[in-house]
Amino acid sequence: MRKMKWLYGVVALLTVCFLASAQAEDFPAKDLTGYIQWGAGGATDNVARAVTPYVEKVLGKQVILQNKPGATGAVAVQWVHNQPSDGYTLLYGAENPLLYRVLDISQLEYKDFYPIALIARNVGVVICNVDQPWKHVNELFADAKKNPGQIKMGSTGPGGLTNVAGAMFKAINGVTFNPIVFPGEGPVITAMLGGHVQWSTVGLASAREHIRAGRLRALALVSDTSVAGLENVPLITSASADYKKFLPWGPFYGVFVKKDTPDAVKKALVDAYRKGLNDPKAQEFIKNFGSVFMGISGAEAEKFLNRWQSVTTWLLDDAKEVKFSPAKFGIPKP
Amino acid sequence: MENLSAIQYVMMSFVSLKLLSLVAAGTLCGIYIGAIPGLSVTMAVSILISFTFSWDLNPALALMIGIWTGGVYGGSRMSILLNIPGAPAAVATGFDGYPLAKLGEAGQAIGLSTTASVIGGVIGVVAFAFAAPVISEYSLMFAPRDYLLLAIMGILLVGSLSGESLAKGIFAGALGVLLSMVGMDNFTGQGRFTFGNVGLMSGIHFVAIMIGIFGVSEVMVQLRDLHIEPIKQDVSRIIPSWRLLFKHLYLIIKCSLIGIGIGALPGAGGDIAALLAYGHARRSVKHPTRPFGEGAYEGLIAPETANNACIGGTSIPMLTLGIPGDAVTAVIIGALYIHGLKPGPMLMIETPHLLWFIVGCMLLANVFLLIFGLTGIRAFAKMVEVRKGLLMPIIVIISIVGAYAINNSIYDIYWMLGFGIVGYFMKQYGFQVAPVILGVILGPLMETGYRQAMMDQQNNLLGFLAQFFVNPLTLALTLSIVFMILGQTQLWAKLRGKFSRKIS
Repeated sequence: MRKMKWLYGVVALLTVCFLASAQAEDFPAKDLTGYIQWGAGGATDNVARAVTPYVEKVLGKQVILQNKPGATGAVAVQWVHNQPSDGYTLLYGAENPLLYRVLDISQLEYKDFYPIALIARNVGVVICNVDQPWKHVNELFADAKKNPGQIKMGSTGPGGLTNVAGAMFKAINGVTFNPIVFPGEGPVITAMLGGHVQWSTVGLASAREHIRAGRLRALALVSDTSVAGLENVPLITSASADYKKFLPWGPFYGVFVKKDTPDAVKKALVDAYRKGLNDPKAQEFIKNFGSVFMGISGAEAEKFLNRWQSVTTWLLDDAKEVKFSPAKFGIPKP
Repeated sequence: MENLSAIQYVMMSFVSLKLLSLVAAGTLCGIYIGAIPGLSVTMAVSILISFTFSWDLNPALALMIGIWTGGVYGGSRMSILLNIPGAPAAVATGFDGYPLAKLGEAGQAIGLSTTASVIGGVIGVVAFAFAAPVISEYSLMFAPRDYLLLAIMGILLVGSLSGESLAKGIFAGALGVLLSMVGMDNFTGQGRFTFGNVGLMSGIHFVAIMIGIFGVSEVMVQLRDLHIEPIKQDVSRIIPSWRLLFKHLYLIIKCSLIGIGIGALPGAGGDIAALLAYGHARRSVKHPTRPFGEGAYEGLIAPETANNACIGGTSIPMLTLGIPGDAVTAVIIGALYIHGLKPGPMLMIETPHLLWFIVGCMLLANVFLLIFGLTGIRAFAKMVEVRKGLLMPIIVIISIVGAYAINNSIYDIYWMLGFGIVGYFMKQYGFQVAPVILGVILGPLMETGYRQAMMDQQNNLLGFLAQFFVNPLTLALTLSIVFMILGQTQLWAKLRGKFSRKIS
């Protein structure tokens, strides 16, 4: 027994030494917690849960994932911001925080955070029920010109993908529709399959399998580059080259920490996520999910976020869907 | 040859010891997770996704289906014993289940709810296995206006749940609808009744309201009546007789069909199915064993059959279209993605064996449900006999844990306790609390349906009203509501009297 006591002493001493050094460079020394700003089963949740295990392998610690939905994700953003800036609390978020200030949801947004990784981005796709006559987005727009404000568009509400895309189409092609609001992309697609709305723009991730099965028709990709497997779907730039100034655009999913987290910790996290995301299995998931891999962080990611915010807030401003003008917050025009 | 392989996949979970024990473990855990208010199946399944990430798909699915089946059933226990629904789908179970416990028949009530759940569950699975494509096409036909009509059908139940005064019942129901409106409006992004508070933007979670208004208020009532001895529970006969089941076979089948039908609708789930089934039983059963609300077996059988049949129903759009019918199926769809499958309309075509494997697991889970459900009832029923001074504080603690677990938010605990106090005073002044929950559950369905149907007609009132008569499905729903209302009036009773006299 006496021998054992001696051994314990050594182990304890070593642990103390190890921890002391760990604080400086060997981040992480304990498990991390990731808060997902949307509920279980949503796209942000799926992406977070699917890719994080590969990052855990690199980190050597667990990232405990929790959903903290509410107020378009503002509850989670506020929560993570209230935690210490030690890098042990992560925010798994989508594009929404970039709109919080103009929609008057919260004063916090991604400028208060540091992008560890933008994981993937989703491409918008203009779809309609196969019973509708249109084969190309130009035919839809021509029809809308003849019947302004009449064609039933499935919408996910103010600030959602459908409405921003609708604002783009109005800005460039001058077309208007009759939007019917549903609580998410899934319900929009369901209503479209039943013929209760005529068309919509949704993320490719939710629509891809329905297009492949021939139940929905893709009229255009809101993108200036084609997506693997959907090469014969027209690009929105074929309706007008003016769309180029908005692109690339679409919902995205990323991991963030508070802005004032120590640089060494930021670097450790950025490296871990980069390695984890490059795991072939993580890549395969992102492809199957119908999204485009991004894998950017730091300044590069911030550039993307700023552009996204500028394009989207000003489009929403044109559509009169904002509470405050983007100018109030010094957001430049695209 | 193809049929043979289908049977092989159905039997897969029965013959593999690993899968068998996973389904069994899942069902057992599910029953207890479901029994604790606030701990939901959705939560359990989403935690399992991270947990089973490195497993193969089949064992992961076996565990999830076990938890799902067990959890939907588990909610009924607390409802019967303590009048605290473990889950929203078990709200209707308490209407007649709790009075049964008060009569000393908690054992029989749990036994009956178990058997009804299993029969409903199996009917649901059979429908899922053989009619999935047909049912999923029918579920797509439901337009926003039809959801509005379904919600109205459900809200008519307020009339039966009002207790002493219809006016008080309507007041309670309206309060529920009002509470459901708090928070950010999905249509405009505008905060409603939030008073500029960010915490209120996400609304008041209806599970917090449910736990408070049923659970905590009941605890307060019980603590006030501390001197009243708990009722002795008769646990000699817990397994319902064949005669009783056979007598209600027709009701069981009808309520299973309601469960499957409502479950298959992407916009409505087990809670609404159970409420509609209860309403149906209340209207269609002429001579219940006891008056409804005082411990009628029929009032227990109907919601329990429907909410378990709903599992099969909700799985239909999930597998045939990749559309989640409720929060649990949304998480399972996520799990399918993570395990490398592509949920959507091609899933059944490209991997048809998946359907048969899931059917097998569901059948097996129902077998275990019967086993676990019928064992241990004695101990559970005796729980109610524990001294109130000991039992009630424990219930409060469970309620707090449950309320916190909803969103890991301390505010939900405050809401829960606050509604407990509101519920207590409502009960003191002869208001029933059930209509509040009815309003909270059906309010959003009604509102969304109404506003979408209105948008569809570009806010033209005549066009909106005309919608209810143009489509055969909608017309059928409209007419059944008209009959439901007329059926309660004096005029109808007179007409009936005349008619039956003419025949005889």
